[in-house]
Amino acid sequence: MKRDTLRVQHVIGSLLVLFWTLAPILWVLISSLSTQAELYSVPPHWIPHHPTIGAYDKVLVTGAGFRGGGGISAAVLMRLGLRNSFVIAVFATLCVMFVAPMMGYAYSRLRFRGRELFFYLTLAIITVPGWPVLIGLFSEYSHLGLLDTKLGLIVLSFTYRLPFETWFMKGYFDAVPGEIEDAARIDGCSIFQTLYRISIHMVMPGLIAVAIISFLFTWNLFAPALVLTYTLKAKPITVAMTEFISQYYVNWDLMSAGTIVALILPVAISVIFQRYIVRGLTAGAVKS
Amino acid sequence: MLVPSLLCLAAFAYYPALTSFRFSFLHYNVKAPAHVFFSGLADYVAVVIDPEFWLSVRHVLYFMAAGTIFVTLIALATGLLLNERFPGHKALRSVVIIPWAIPPIVNGYLWKWIFDGDHGAFNGLLYQIGLIGHYQHWLVHPFMALNIAMFTFVWRYVPFVSVLFLGALQSIPDSLYEASKVDGANAFQQFLHVTIPALLRIGGVALVLTLIASFSVFDEIYALMGFDESTLTPMMYNYQMTFVNGDFGVGAAMAYLVGAVLLTLTIPYIRMSLREDRG
Repeated sequence: MKRDTLRVQHVIGSLLVLFWTLAPILWVLISSLSTQAELYSVPPHWIPHHPTIGAYDKVLVTGAGFRGGGGISAAVLMRLGLRNSFVIAVFATLCVMFVAPMMGYAYSRLRFRGRELFFYLTLAIITVPGWPVLIGLFSEYSHLGLLDTKLGLIVLSFTYRLPFETWFMKGYFDAVPGEIEDAARIDGCSIFQTLYRISIHMVMPGLIAVAIISFLFTWNLFAPALVLTYTLKAKPITVAMTEFISQYYVNWDLMSAGTIVALILPVAISVIFQRYIVRGLTAGAVKS
Repeated sequence: MLVPSLLCLAAFAYYPALTSFRFSFLHYNVKAPAHVFFSGLADYVAVVIDPEFWLSVRHVLYFMAAGTIFVTLIALATGLLLNERFPGHKALRSVVIIPWAIPPIVNGYLWKWIFDGDHGAFNGLLYQIGLIGHYQHWLVHPFMALNIAMFTFVWRYVPFVSVLFLGALQSIPDSLYEASKVDGANAFQQFLHVTIPALLRIGGVALVLTLIASFSVFDEIYALMGFDESTLTPMMYNYQMTFVNGDFGVGAAMAYLVGAVLLTLTIPYIRMSLREDRG
């Protein structure tokens, strides 16, 4: 039935899929490399006659041509936003990577009182819709002094990824046999030693998927960050760029450069780790 | 280690949910912090009699219905294509996933530029082909704007559902196709009697997830239209009510009303997935 043959419908299908997926991104990339004059001609120059990286220079280095609220230059806005996103995403991911396997392991292997109840309490968080929590979280954060801090966003991201990833890791542990662990336990390893020296290696693909999906989730977060941050002390790139763009609604060449800067990292990660993501998404939606 | 993690979940998920539940029974506007008092169900009544709220509900119902149909059909076609083995099919798989990874807010701005009324590529393309005589301001037409917002969601969500379909397609044993071939089935009959039944289960999960996701769209609409009435959905209106108008009481009530409806979607999803866990 399945052979590696190229049929005409494959070619047509692939071309359609490639156009559907890549054309919009390609156009933004081209826009970011065009001069404004070429971009605003009617119809636009699909391929710029005089390509330039001037927009990137303005957006990342010099910041010329833009002074946002408080006289912040475009470059400062973008650079600080990128840095905040990076810090928040890395720390949230590390926390999830550390805790999710432990909880998954506990729910999968250990027998303790209230296990079912705790598992359902963890999963129930997935069902809790965003606004009811976020409205309460805003007032809680303002009391705790977590408003407009990176820590606040790390905690939020961790709290909302953990249930999914725990569930996902539990599925992984359920699927690997427990005999090797039993042997290690008999040899005198503690539960933690067994988990980190032995079991973790057997669920490595799952852990990588957890890490990547958590990182992308945190990097792409917008609405909660919009609510919980208001200065560049903590604003991630997704929120920082809205300020940049609303001030800049006519300068689409600069905005295109900003768009590319904001999406390059998640897109690169998704292409490089496509295999893990596909597995993670499939298993995350339906356990198999 | 379980205990601190669960405490964290309780402190930052359950506790705030209860806090806003309390707000929903208060007259509470952050712009007038001195005038906070118990108001019973007044906040809920305020939501239910608000015509703007029902407008947003109508928008989101259309958004969900149309969005889910388009996502399912396009993802099914893409999944079937990705399941074929031809030179380059692996590279294609890497490309297909890209829109899923793009931050939704960035996705919104990307399409805002393409559909721009003065210089957008969509105008440029149609103009060059000769379909339009002069540039159109697409986002000014309310129904068009709603459809464009829906389209940007479809574009971002198709990869995820394609991947789900692909996973299910790959789990169909080849022997099933061979057996049906022996029985004299043609390609269409095979699709109808082998492929479709195998996709039903994952299709159910995908359907529920797409409904939830299309309901929850915020970022793209924010980027494209802000709080414009033409694309106002409960997600947008809830933000506007709470964090723009400062009315935490009515905002919380709306969040709970909307959240209760959303639970009718999320709970079946969890149950479906848990059933898969066991079986």
